[in-house]
Amino acid sequence: MTLIKYETQRLSMRFFMVMLVLFLFQTGFGLLLAMQHIDPTILSGVLNFNVVRVQHLNLGILWILAGFIGTILFVGPLLSKRELAAPWLIKFLFYALLVIVIWNVLTQYFAQQGIAGWWMGQPWLHEGLEYIEAGRAADIVILIGFAILCYVVLRTFPPLKQWTEIHWGLGLGVLALTAVWMFGLFFIERLDLQEYFRWYVVHYWVEGVWEVIHISLVGFMMVMMFKASMKSVGYAVFWGISLVWLSGLIGNAHHYFWIGTPEFWQFWGSLFSALEPLPLIFCFWHIYLDAHQDGKPIVNMPAFAFLLGSVVLEQVGAGILGFTMTFALTNVWSHGTWVTVSHAHLALFGTFGMLGLAAAYYAVPLMRGIRNFDQRYGNLSFWLVFTGMLGMAFAFAIGGTVQVFVYRTLGLDWFGGDVSSAMYFAKIMVPLFGLVFTVGVGVLVFDLLTIGQRSDNEDKSSSHKSLMAVPAKGWRRYLTGWEAGIWLLSMWVFGAVITAGLLSFNLAVVRDGDPLLPYFMAGVGYTGLLMVTLLFVWRFISSLKARSASPAINNRP
Amino acid sequence: MSCKEGELCEEGRKRKVAMLVLGFMALIFVALSLMSFLDSRGQVIPKNVQYAGFEAVQGKRVFQAYNCMGCHTIVGNGAYFGPDLTNTYDITGPAWLEAFMPSAASWPTQAAVQVQLNKPEIAKEAGVDGIEAYLEKYPGAAERIMRRSGHASIMPNLPLSGDEVSSVIAFLKYTSQMDTEGWPPVPRVAGLTFPHATQMPAAAVSTVVSPQSGAVANALEDPVALGEKLVKDTGCTACHSTGSDTVIGPGWGGLYGSVVTLNDGSSADVDDAYLTEALLDPNAQIAAGFATGLMPAYTGILDTDQVAAIVAYIRSLGGE
Repeated sequence: MTLIKYETQRLSMRFFMVMLVLFLFQTGFGLLLAMQHIDPTILSGVLNFNVVRVQHLNLGILWILAGFIGTILFVGPLLSKRELAAPWLIKFLFYALLVIVIWNVLTQYFAQQGIAGWWMGQPWLHEGLEYIEAGRAADIVILIGFAILCYVVLRTFPPLKQWTEIHWGLGLGVLALTAVWMFGLFFIERLDLQEYFRWYVVHYWVEGVWEVIHISLVGFMMVMMFKASMKSVGYAVFWGISLVWLSGLIGNAHHYFWIGTPEFWQFWGSLFSALEPLPLIFCFWHIYLDAHQDGKPIVNMPAFAFLLGSVVLEQVGAGILGFTMTFALTNVWSHGTWVTVSHAHLALFGTFGMLGLAAAYYAVPLMRGIRNFDQRYGNLSFWLVFTGMLGMAFAFAIGGTVQVFVYRTLGLDWFGGDVSSAMYFAKIMVPLFGLVFTVGVGVLVFDLLTIGQRSDNEDKSSSHKSLMAVPAKGWRRYLTGWEAGIWLLSMWVFGAVITAGLLSFNLAVVRDGDPLLPYFMAGVGYTGLLMVTLLFVWRFISSLKARSASPAINNRP
Repeated sequence: MSCKEGELCEEGRKRKVAMLVLGFMALIFVALSLMSFLDSRGQVIPKNVQYAGFEAVQGKRVFQAYNCMGCHTIVGNGAYFGPDLTNTYDITGPAWLEAFMPSAASWPTQAAVQVQLNKPEIAKEAGVDGIEAYLEKYPGAAERIMRRSGHASIMPNLPLSGDEVSSVIAFLKYTSQMDTEGWPPVPRVAGLTFPHATQMPAAAVSTVVSPQSGAVANALEDPVALGEKLVKDTGCTACHSTGSDTVIGPGWGGLYGSVVTLNDGSSADVDDAYLTEALLDPNAQIAAGFATGLMPAYTGILDTDQVAAIVAYIRSLGGE
């Protein structure tokens, strides 16, 4: 187990802590949004839906970034075998982050009065564009923050000649993070051109930059947790990044189907973004390989569970659900409906959120100096947020399918009358699963904030001992590569059913008003996909837990 | 694609090759992008779109300032709380939007739309010369009036000024002219005939009958009762509360007989003459704190008896 070798690794602690607090607030705003969807009069005129939604989106982005920064600061010295450069700049970065969070929460409220703070043609307080709502003032401070991160990372890293593939991944990642941000810094008069550049920031961040940072950090965590070889992990990271960029660069075209740009983007977008799941399958396969390269028990199960969740939800949310709506013929229906919301929640929270949480579960107990912490809270919170998020994704997907039929096929556009009432069942399901998720977040935040400071945090529980009685049989038997492949394949089979369901909206029989086919395929596809996902993660973790039954448990550090 | 410890895997060379391929793809991407925004494509640009003298570009600024994308989608991007706005102008036309936006929390009545259509610059933009032709040309407006008018909408009232409303309409006129490659798909069936469609409420049917028809007037002899009915049918209560609070315009509770300060600093007594003028020529005197041009003129919509009935109704709510 990696210990704290460098003092500056501890600078990551404050970023993890602020990540947790922001996550809690983001979840609260999400719950409020779900309630407003059911009863639009809730806080209407006081805290309008759009203002609540901005907080939900921006806090989500900010806590994911805080998690990235925390993780990078934690692994940076280990990767470089020296202390972080310019610790005072990191402290400054932290306070700048706090100021930006508070500033942005306050300025977004001005949308209710229609005040954007126009000055020199730019909106300085907030700019009312989805995901990049922060006003120009905050934008510039954020740009400076990214520049500081680049400086710290690149100054800490060893000379270029000694870079491994993980250095390359993180180095290019933080540089690209900064570069891409600059495309969101201008007011653009044309709507088509504005959307074109807005997706530079949003798509290239998520599918270019964050994905690259994600792959690099997951790789290094595999090195730390499983003593995987740096060289073989690095090689996998190299291929992962190459595939992400080679598919994602032109894959951005899937955002240019209907925004007023020419038809040829439908060809390029459908082709290249259909390739985007490739690196995710690759990453999925590697976490299987690395986790099984030795038979030792998992020392820190919550950290591994969140890491596994991150890679699996990346596969399911980003890879499969992204694939289903990436073709012009399916996207024409899913575009602008709840179908995309399902994908976005699983992909963003799953892939990037869970990585930050995994890193926090790995790093925080180490920094607090506890070897053997009570892992029951962590495991409980993982299952609550994991099932909660899968349930919400299911609700969004089913609601979205109904929405496509009612809104697009029938052309009914009274949201308060026709559309909402048709979606009501799904709208009720969102806060129900949201509540499960929220409880999980509560347990998680409580556990990580107080770990090492509670009286009960040393593991006196018998959870490991009780496991020792359970042999690695049945559901807990060794997970072979073949079996993992079957699980992956069945996810994709259900993904294909979902894709066919979206395609079926093109059929004459559906367009003439019969929703049976798309409803049936969505029901089978989404239910199957999300159940397989849940079972697979359960199966994976169970098989790893059975390792604790081996005598190796007594040899833990 | 794996490499074991000690193997020679030539990462450096492969990285360079990957970068080269990436560079080649970037060239393709840039070339496609440049082609996308060539003038020769004929895509509409907001600089060339005006609505009643307002600029579409200015409308885009207002659109962003209120974060409309936080509830609606535009070209399919944004939130999914309200409908997509890309083609709204085409479907509902400018007069309906003018009637709806200042008091978005309730759906406008036919009379409220007609008031807007009476303004020559709006009629010119709409390209029609009467409400019947308007409803025929803009089926979305007809559907909204038929089914929704009198109902609350799920959108809150926003503090939009008259200029902001017209600017946003200019922006929506621009987006409705954009070529979005056939998106959103055009429905092949009449959705209103499906059980998913909320059935037309009986109460809404009566509002389709124009208050001008006179049928209402004959039915109700008492001017206060007639006024109470007219303010609902004409859509006045979308902006005016019967209490003393301000929704969009001043509340009527305790208004009659009070003294109001006007925006030029002078003051006026609220009496029959003042209220009559406020209905027929609202911009003649504007109370302090309210924008000029927000209240439409009801000349030609309401006859003398109807105006008198509304004034009588407001008087009945008054203080004195």
